[in-house]
Amino acid sequence: MLTLGHYLLVSGLLFATGLGGVLLRRNIIVIFMGLELMLNAANLSLVAFARHGAVSAGLPDYNAQVLVFFIITVAAAEVAVGLAIIVALYRQRQTAHVEDLNQLKF
Amino acid sequence: MNPIYLEIAVVVLGLLLLAAESFAGPGRKSGIAHPAITGLILVFVATFWIDPLAMDVTAPYARFYSADFLAVFFKQLALLSTIVVLIMAQEYAPVVEASLPSSRRGAGLGEFYALPVFTCAGLMWMASAVDFVLIFVSLELVTISFYILVSYMRQDRGSLEAGVKFLVLGALSTGFLIYGITWIYGVTGQTNLHAIAAVIPALKHAAAPALLFGLGLVLVSLGFKVAAVPFQFWVPDVYQGAPTPITAFLSVASKAAGFVVLLRVLQAFVVVPYLQEKIMLLMAILAGITMVFGNLAAIPQSNLKRLLAYSSVAHAGYLLLGVASLGAPFAGMAVLFYLGAYLIMTLLAFLIMAVVSKTVGGDDIADFNGLNQRAPHLAFAMLLAMASLAGVPLTVGFLGKLFIFEAAFQQGHFVLIALGIVTVASGFYYYLKVVRAMYWQQPADPEAPEIPVGVAARLTIAILCALTIWLGVYPAPLLSLIR
Repeated sequence: MLTLGHYLLVSGLLFATGLGGVLLRRNIIVIFMGLELMLNAANLSLVAFARHGAVSAGLPDYNAQVLVFFIITVAAAEVAVGLAIIVALYRQRQTAHVEDLNQLKF
Repeated sequence: MNPIYLEIAVVVLGLLLLAAESFAGPGRKSGIAHPAITGLILVFVATFWIDPLAMDVTAPYARFYSADFLAVFFKQLALLSTIVVLIMAQEYAPVVEASLPSSRRGAGLGEFYALPVFTCAGLMWMASAVDFVLIFVSLELVTISFYILVSYMRQDRGSLEAGVKFLVLGALSTGFLIYGITWIYGVTGQTNLHAIAAVIPALKHAAAPALLFGLGLVLVSLGFKVAAVPFQFWVPDVYQGAPTPITAFLSVASKAAGFVVLLRVLQAFVVVPYLQEKIMLLMAILAGITMVFGNLAAIPQSNLKRLLAYSSVAHAGYLLLGVASLGAPFAGMAVLFYLGAYLIMTLLAFLIMAVVSKTVGGDDIADFNGLNQRAPHLAFAMLLAMASLAGVPLTVGFLGKLFIFEAAFQQGHFVLIALGIVTVASGFYYYLKVVRAMYWQQPADPEAPEIPVGVAARLTIAILCALTIWLGVYPAPLLSLIR
């Protein structure tokens, strides 16, 4: 039997994986994938909380599930803009590595 | 009038501008700046007809949208800063144009005027948001349009690099925000801030760690937005690389909106003593390290944009000191007054910087050498802005700091006040570095031509200068807006 705890554990692992990717990897595309994992971790735990949380009149609370749709939409918008910026950067410098982002320093 | 029409009007204005931009002929795209500014001024005037007390709390949208005094004040701040930013963008347009791939004159400039209008709509929604869903969505509207604006100068190495850094760190803070919201929802079963405040006192003590975890993640994300130490590392690079008008927009409007969300979220959580103690202690610590770090890191800077970036971190510290003193009845007002003052003086400094760096071709402090001989009026306006940012008496910046320290004094934050006064003194040093360059250094080229300033920019500089002095001597008009 799957309990709320199982879902939260998986979601926590997803979040940690994403955060680890952002902090440890050096390729911007991979960093971006890590960021998306973090958002999806939130989605998973939101749905789990909504399913296992308060039930009124036999229905689960749909607030959180609606929020999940907003998160998916926002993540899509973020990817559209983000990948465009990364492509522009690649065209200019032929690199997608964070070490090469060293122009701005005093 | 129903306050939600304001945001709708701004969004419709933005869509109309985009439509006009796509139908305008190739050399005339930048013409949409005028209708954008005019439209926003009309909406700004309309905000004075909003009666915060007449808000219908039973309306369906009242679950996520509030139009109290706080919201209306921040809507006015957002609109005002967007208007000034658009005027600044007009002045700065030649620089942006030079670093766009297209060689046709005026092509590709349209979105540079249309996007800030959408950002403004997002900021106005943030000011009214009382539900985590609306907070999240409006925050993302602001952040995503800022990604584009920061990296707008596609052929400029600094701008794109700033854009990528802002993208990664902004998305990271989004991840923290949404995961925090998830846990707060998981514990309370609510996304509405009022409902959360009603549920928290009845929670079991075992739920406290999960709630604190969620709140902590949300506060980390808001720390990114308001540029509080230790979440300030994106600030100097992004501020330096972004186009100057966008830097001004980021440092004023984005910070103000971050603070309004911070105030609303904290209000929902300080309802029980054990949370209140922890939150206020955290705010006090953040305020202390932000003040010290921002001011110390600004001292060695030689690039004016970077200097203003660290100064913006320092100002976030003073604002957080106000937030940490929220127990004092006067503190909320002090924070709002400080934000108003910060808007006036920061926009003034950035406006002059945009005008000067467009002509001089750089934004190092050395580029301001001898500005007094070349353009005495601009130099004087910059002197006012720097004096006000440093907190010289008889300027609006001084009163802002005074009110904050007074509120902190009432709450007994004596160590923080001492820190604040020491850091203000160190602030004098680096702000006066700019004044010294303008008045006591010889210009690189004494025969340099005059600096051209547009009519709208000239008028805005005059108004902002007048406000800096007038509100510094007689703060009643701004205080009456806050109430």
